[in-house]
Amino acid sequence: MRNAITLAACAAIIFNFQLFAQTKSNEKIKPIELQKYFGDLKGRHIGPALMSGRIIDMEAHPTNPRIIYAGTAGGGVWKSKDAGTTFFPIFDDYCQSIGAVELDPNDPDKIIYVGTGETWTRNSVSIGDGLYKSIDGGVNWKKIGLENSERIANIIVNPKNSNEIYVSVLGALWSDSPDRGVYKSMDAGQTWNKVLYVNPSTGCADLAMDPKDPSILYASMWEFRRTAWSFNSGGESSSLYKSIDAGKTWNKIHNGFPKGKLGRLAIAVAPSNPNILYTVIEAEEQKKKGIYRSDDAGANWKQLNNDFGITVRPFYFSRIVVDPKNPDVVVKGGLTGSISRDGGKTFKNLGNMHSDIHDVVFSINNSDVMYVGTDGGVYRSWDGGNTMEIVENLPLSQFYHISVDDETPYNIYGGLQDNGSWYGPSSSGGGISARDWNSVGMGDGFRVLKHPTKPIIYSEMQGAASVWRYNKKTNQVKTIQPLPQKGNPKLRFNWNAPMAVSTINPDRFYMGSQFLHKSDDMGDTWKIISPDLTTNDPKKQDQENSGGLSMDNSGAENHTTIFTIAESSLDENVIWVGTDDGNVQVTTDGGQNWTNTIKNAPGLPLNTWCYHIEASVHDKKTAYAVFDGHNSGDMKAYVYKTTDFGKTWKSITTNAIEIFARNIQEDYVNPDLLFLGTEFGLYVTIDGGKNWTKFTNKVPSTAIHFIDLQKTTNDLVLGTHGRGIIIIDDISPLRSINKQVLTKKLHFFESKPFYMDDQNGFAGSGGSFGAETQFVGSNPNSGVQIKYLLSKRHTFGKMSMEIQNMDGKKIISLTPGKSKGLNIVEWYYTMKAPKVAKAKTFSFGGFASPRVKAGKYKAVITKGKDTFEHVFEVAYDPKSTLSKEDIELKQQSVMKLYNLSEELAYIIYKLDTVVDICKKTKTKEALTSLKKTLVVTTGDNYVGSAEPQLREKVAELYSKIVSSYDKPSAAELDYLGVLSNRFDSSKVEFEKLLKKAKLKKVEFKSFEDFIK
Amino acid sequence: MKKTTLLLLFISFLGNHAFSQTADEIISTYYENTGGIENWKKLEGITMFASVNQMGMEIPIEMIKLKNGNQLTKITFQGKEINQNVYDGKVLWGNNFMTQEAEKADQESTDNMKQEVLDFPDAFMNYKENGYTLEKMPDEDFDGTSCFKLKLTKKPMMVDGKEEQNVVFYYFDKDSFVPIGQQTEVKSGQMKGQMGEVKLSDYQEVDGLYFPFSMTQGLKGGEGQAIVMTKIALNPKVDGSIFTFPKK
Repeated sequence: MRNAITLAACAAIIFNFQLFAQTKSNEKIKPIELQKYFGDLKGRHIGPALMSGRIIDMEAHPTNPRIIYAGTAGGGVWKSKDAGTTFFPIFDDYCQSIGAVELDPNDPDKIIYVGTGETWTRNSVSIGDGLYKSIDGGVNWKKIGLENSERIANIIVNPKNSNEIYVSVLGALWSDSPDRGVYKSMDAGQTWNKVLYVNPSTGCADLAMDPKDPSILYASMWEFRRTAWSFNSGGESSSLYKSIDAGKTWNKIHNGFPKGKLGRLAIAVAPSNPNILYTVIEAEEQKKKGIYRSDDAGANWKQLNNDFGITVRPFYFSRIVVDPKNPDVVVKGGLTGSISRDGGKTFKNLGNMHSDIHDVVFSINNSDVMYVGTDGGVYRSWDGGNTMEIVENLPLSQFYHISVDDETPYNIYGGLQDNGSWYGPSSSGGGISARDWNSVGMGDGFRVLKHPTKPIIYSEMQGAASVWRYNKKTNQVKTIQPLPQKGNPKLRFNWNAPMAVSTINPDRFYMGSQFLHKSDDMGDTWKIISPDLTTNDPKKQDQENSGGLSMDNSGAENHTTIFTIAESSLDENVIWVGTDDGNVQVTTDGGQNWTNTIKNAPGLPLNTWCYHIEASVHDKKTAYAVFDGHNSGDMKAYVYKTTDFGKTWKSITTNAIEIFARNIQEDYVNPDLLFLGTEFGLYVTIDGGKNWTKFTNKVPSTAIHFIDLQKTTNDLVLGTHGRGIIIIDDISPLRSINKQVLTKKLHFFESKPFYMDDQNGFAGSGGSFGAETQFVGSNPNSGVQIKYLLSKRHTFGKMSMEIQNMDGKKIISLTPGKSKGLNIVEWYYTMKAPKVAKAKTFSFGGFASPRVKAGKYKAVITKGKDTFEHVFEVAYDPKSTLSKEDIELKQQSVMKLYNLSEELAYIIYKLDTVVDICKKTKTKEALTSLKKTLVVTTGDNYVGSAEPQLREKVAELYSKIVSSYDKPSAAELDYLGVLSNRFDSSKVEFEKLLKKAKLKKVEFKSFEDFIK
Repeated sequence: MKKTTLLLLFISFLGNHAFSQTADEIISTYYENTGGIENWKKLEGITMFASVNQMGMEIPIEMIKLKNGNQLTKITFQGKEINQNVYDGKVLWGNNFMTQEAEKADQESTDNMKQEVLDFPDAFMNYKENGYTLEKMPDEDFDGTSCFKLKLTKKPMMVDGKEEQNVVFYYFDKDSFVPIGQQTEVKSGQMKGQMGEVKLSDYQEVDGLYFPFSMTQGLKGGEGQAIVMTKIALNPKVDGSIFTFPKK
């Protein structure tokens, strides 16, 4: 017995040792470098651009009026080379929240500085990560410091010395920070000195340089702070400073300023007269706020105007721009934007455009031309700010939330910062353009959800002020938000109020205030099914007094509210709720009992905003929770997983995730495949969170607020806050990437049958009208997609690809991708176009290619000596109304014409050969005459085209039947008979003439060789 | 085939020592690995026979490029030959697709072509004499593969009346030292400002020199159009008159 125990103990020790050894060796195995294998898996940008997004800073090239830059709130930096007609992005690989863009005036074609971090400090503002420089006009970028600056307001390069640069750092919004103030570099950005600093809560909001004397600088310092539940603008430290010794010393210039605390100040020097300065002052007293002017370089100030347009929301609009030619023409940012032509005494609104104007730049040669940055994109004016036209290709839309439906093609729904709520298709004829998007809500839009089975869309505006139920079939809308009930306290809804639908009970609809509201009749009647699930901390509920010197109670700071709701798709009684003050509550009995599980999340700071809970589709006890602490200055990512209803939570983040996260999406098939939306882009894990990899293939480092996965297509849909909707089509290959697959030279991924879509409307051709300067989102691939993974890039030797039928007969050659990682090759179900007879002009009908029959096919890749095969299936459009016999008839008719075209081509080839060498004039003439009846021999490819002959008629009928969804009509079949007979008689005639020519030595290519 | 194997062995050896290469060393190794610079210098002309797959058609293309700057691209549609980008040292011309008649290109494009044809057999040969500068950039991955990135700054070009920089970025495979990608800004048209990209692969030997037999052109990160060489002939004998703008 004892021996047995000893043996068992030994065995256990050995077993444990082996386990330990195994774990050890596993730890040493390097994780897959997933980044190198994403290959052709890439983001597809679909906008929309029709409402564009928030612009922070406009910049003009100092000598070339065609070049304009726009720095955006969440969409990076865009450049125009056509005077603002169209823009293109130049900063996609880096932080997309921009504070300032500056061109070195001494070398503006090459040297560009970008300061990251938006400076218009609204609640939803993102963060920056430092200062960047390009020395090649924006192709390559390098971060050159100020990493902790969080937001950069201005960059100024001395116009006489490229090495001397000043940067104003507004700094951290959510916390104290020593990284603020005015910084100076004397070595073109290699090293920096802080030359003006006030205290950890006061940053530099604006900086200006005297245009004639670069040693004179003006800096406005601003004391400000935001929390998740409040905002404060102003304090004793806010001031306007001047330096006359290139930043060595600074003095306050407040002569004529109002007494007391100051808030955000803007400063501008008139480029044409450096003695004239303008500032806009946020002061304690309303009547003392407004625009002030100095005519003696800041020694004395005089208030000129305090209209609403000048004093409105200083934290959002403190920007003054002076016409470069006329010191009395002044533009002020604001709700509508204001322009003065009398030196700041009186103002009128800028022309009609999207509200919230943040910056303006005048064209360098003509002040009638202006570029204006708003909450809804860039506008151009050609008449001094009177009439405004929008730039149509800036897809900068800022989604708070998105969702998808299950239609074909599926739609994407979402709400936008200051731009309402919308839905649009994932594909559309000719691409997804502005006209494809449909408005389904006003104000700031947030969550938009489709009823799972009915043509109903739920949408909302800020703080659940309105929750709409829209029937898109009847075009009827009603508001359904939960109202206060007798005996209940005031309902507290988040600015971005949560809603959810149930996949189990389609008419069920949830909303969250501090309570969870449930409706089983699409919002007609509501029931509260929880107690207050928040901390209900009264200190965080004083929004009435938020704003500081300018009251700002928009509702954006409403706090201690529910923020995320998730009903399990496996059990309707399991509901998860996350709150903005850091609770994660779960019920397993449909709301009768609730458990706050937050204390079970190790390492999570108290009261960290629960941004999203993802209820697993694999197991009802499992859920993921993402927490965001950035609004207390904590920029770490917090992502947790539970497998026991929250009794324990385990962190699944690693140091690879560089910034805070907001959303997670679980794959429906592989539970270890997860996608994480962070403030700087998308991360992927294929091992349940042990290793995370940033996904950068056409997915910029933009804030991803929400992710959804479309179940049928496996498309990952990203709702970004600055670059609209980005779709990664079909992520299913990621489900099976593992080390074993990577050991193969080439690995084909399995595919579902591909359906040959019969739709062929006019949308493609019509969609391009007027879209020349518009953003048009690209469509997904619609053909067969052969997906394979190469463990190494193919660089040497031949690599080719064919589609073959199951007998190994070639249908068509395709060009295979050669990248390391995932390659996707498309095939549009067609065989080669027919060989068409050579003639004077083209036969356009002959460019069409017929589709193959449904069935199994092989993709065959030859790579050096190796051959790799993959069998896939092609099926007819299930929506097709054609019978099997109809399809057969269509295919036979098409192939008859196809063969007729090739045979005719062969006759013409032989005829031309004979004519070239035949010496018998009469026969030659007869052959030439015959040719004139077979192909066109005169004219051109446009309006000078000749009368069609047999070739053209055959091609026309061929193309008519090929491009139709329908079976051939009786008339078409009759005509086919006519053409076929004409061909037969022409062939006989040709053979006769060939004999007559009596050529001895003529060798024709065989028909097979000819049509190759 | 044997030569390819030997080359691969050689380059994999080199790959281990590839850590501190200057731009000129990378170019030099590239020439060495692909046939030797002297042999490249001897080259007088190239004809490339290629095929482009488009809309179910395999379109044959023939491209002739001579050391003296003459060049021609011939596309065959339904048996009809259409010339494009033909240059005789003075005139740049091509056939109009509608009338099929020869038409001259605008003067700006012609002037830019005068510069472009100096790049024979490629832009690195005699780059200093041509007034270009070559610079090594930080290493980058291209097509999932570790690469040296080089920046070639050519002489500025004129675009719609304004002078513009003319820069090409090259990605050299760290293992083999052959370029597998190049990128340059699209200068005009709807796509202007975006980066155009060419992917090079299927390097094969032709009379002792290695050429990419597959080139895929498109926008950076987007889908591309492949041109696949069926045959490359060196030092072709060409009747010079084919480059001359036809008299009307």
